[in-house]
Amino acid sequence: MFRRSITTTAALWLAGLAPTFAAGGGGHHALPLDAQHLWGWFTNSTIMVWIATLLIVLFCRTATGKMSLVPKGLQNFAEWCVESLYDFLGGLLGPHLVSRTFWFFGTVFFFILVNNYLGLIPGVGTVGWKTVDAHGHHGFTPWLRGGNADVNMTAAMATVFAIMWFVWAISENGLKGFMAHIFAPKGSFGGLMLAMMIPIFLFVGVLEMISIAIRPVALTFRLFGNIYGGEQTLESLMALVPEKLAFLPALPFYFMELLVGFVQALVFTLLGAIFLKLICDHGDEAHH
Amino acid sequence: MITILAAAGDASVLDTIQKTFGLNTPFFIAQVINFLLVVFILKKFAFGPIQAMLEQRRLRIAEGEEKLKRIEKQLAESEATTAAAIAKANEDANRLIEEAKTSAAVLSEQKAQEAIAQAQQILTKAEAAAKADRERISAEIKREFGRLVAATASQVTGKVLNEDDQKRINEEALAKVEG
Repeated sequence: MFRRSITTTAALWLAGLAPTFAAGGGGHHALPLDAQHLWGWFTNSTIMVWIATLLIVLFCRTATGKMSLVPKGLQNFAEWCVESLYDFLGGLLGPHLVSRTFWFFGTVFFFILVNNYLGLIPGVGTVGWKTVDAHGHHGFTPWLRGGNADVNMTAAMATVFAIMWFVWAISENGLKGFMAHIFAPKGSFGGLMLAMMIPIFLFVGVLEMISIAIRPVALTFRLFGNIYGGEQTLESLMALVPEKLAFLPALPFYFMELLVGFVQALVFTLLGAIFLKLICDHGDEAHH
Repeated sequence: MITILAAAGDASVLDTIQKTFGLNTPFFIAQVINFLLVVFILKKFAFGPIQAMLEQRRLRIAEGEEKLKRIEKQLAESEATTAAAIAKANEDANRLIEEAKTSAAVLSEQKAQEAIAQAQQILTKAEAAAKADRERISAEIKREFGRLVAATASQVTGKVLNEDDQKRINEEALAKVEG
């Protein structure tokens, strides 16, 4: 336990110092905070998103091209992935909601996961060209950038989720039920107590609306921050040592980033599912 | 982060955040399109076929379970029917055996009775034949005896006997012999 604590502390300390050393070294070019524009509407993260999409398409076509009732190989693996996630989300959302929404949450999970892991491939975020801006500041533009290390991508997913959340919430509860779910007093009150509770729950409803508005923002920056921070940490750690040994300090953190990549995909998906479950709770009970 | 916090004091916080993180409307729209494309592809080529296959397999398993239950029920019914048939066959066999035994006893008795009757008949016939033979022999002996008596009486008396004499002598001699 003590050894683990020391190791964790040392790792965090090193990670904290890394940007300082990196900045002092002068030879290290940190990953820019924003995705770099290449041409048209396309950035270096867009290319990674396309690669991720292409890989997903290839995997899906290979796995589901010739499906058989007795699965084997890739079909077996694909079915295991889909079925595991479906059952997991089904436990949270219930059979009705999961059958309606799995296409979205499943896509979100696998898309984030593939993008996160592609962002860990050596060369992504580290191979590019040096730039000099109008003020003479030296910069670095990587050819490729992890899809979720671009806030536009995470914002796109969070925005689509927010829109779908409204669609599902209203279709499950009805507009009146949806508004009642947010603003109406919860519990059985009567008389004076009800009169007192109405303004309180109206205020709570306003807070709920603010919470609903903040959710996509939180989803956007949580995913972006974790993935960008992870990539930046790896790069900064590599800058701590001579170039030939650059892989060494980053190696343990690669395993951590593998875990982070999975956890963040799960967190985004789970939070989305929980937000939906919260608003559709009455609707789902009514179905039962 | 410090930039963001500092920018939070400004009026154009959103603008600062957009510039700091590179949040850009065309790039954002491009990523939305990319994401929707992935949603479409996964729904069409992954989740659709896989979920259809899982559903098909689930139905087949349910169908298999249903068939298994039906087969088990049929087996139980078949076993019950077989047991009933065996029991009935045993009962029939026992009944047939009993009937055969009874028939055999009756037949045996009948045959014995027939044999007895036949034997009795043979005996009666034999007795009748013996009686007829005896009567025939007796009649022949009587006739011979009468002839001998008449011949002897004729020779002793030297007289020719007529039929009435012969008859009377014969009857007297026979009466003495039989008496």
